[in-house]
Amino acid sequence: MLEGVGRALERYMDLLAARQKLVASNLANADTPGYRTRDIDFQREFYSLIEGAGPQPVEVSGLPVKNDGNNVSLDREARLLAENALRFNLASNLLRARIRMLRAAIQEGKQT
Amino acid sequence: MSLFTALSVSASGLAAQRARAELLAENLANAETTRTAAGGPYRRKDAVFASEPVASAFSSVFAAEMDGSLTGVRVAEIIEDPREPEKRYLPGHPDADAEGYVAFPRINPAEDMVDLMGAVRGYQANVAAVSAVKDMIHRSIELLR
Repeated sequence: MLEGVGRALERYMDLLAARQKLVASNLANADTPGYRTRDIDFQREFYSLIEGAGPQPVEVSGLPVKNDGNNVSLDREARLLAENALRFNLASNLLRARIRMLRAAIQEGKQT
Repeated sequence: MSLFTALSVSASGLAAQRARAELLAENLANAETTRTAAGGPYRRKDAVFASEPVASAFSSVFAAEMDGSLTGVRVAEIIEDPREPEKRYLPGHPDADAEGYVAFPRINPAEDMVDLMGAVRGYQANVAAVSAVKDMIHRSIELLR
């Protein structure tokens, strides 16, 4: 009953959750020697139609590598952390509006 | 729900940074310690971090397969500073050797303070991750209302 927009929102939230997990992992390993920052290619994953297959994390290139071989940037991760939380917030509000609409249709139908 | 895995990852980060901060506090406290259980002056300790696959509270084979790429962090080993102790000429000191030199730990308080700031920042970053993920979980639960 939540086809179209509902499904897209669900997938969007799934991907945000996956990305947030990688951000948490990057932050936890901010001081681990040799650890490389990982992220998912958001656009590609969102448009990929292969359902069921989990998002593939890739190493992020172009970040400055510290002396111990670690390239986690706290600034980048903090930004992504906030961004993901806000996007998730927005998506969950939109999804809730869809569900409320559906519920209204059911309730109104009952009254007549 | 898979978002809970993110909480265990952040928790491992919190534990590791806390362990590191404890070691640094120990170093600062023992900056002038000339006697230890192992004999000789105190030696500076530091933690070595290593990433490891995260173990979720409700781990199943499937979940482990899906989250296999997520890594938490743990303290792999605690290393002691291999440098020679610092010799100070204090002939009246009870631990002085035949020539009157006392072996003191080679600890630079500035070095430990800077590392301590790093550990605190790392801890804060993990706390921020926990609260952001917690907020996302709350939002998902709100969908049911």
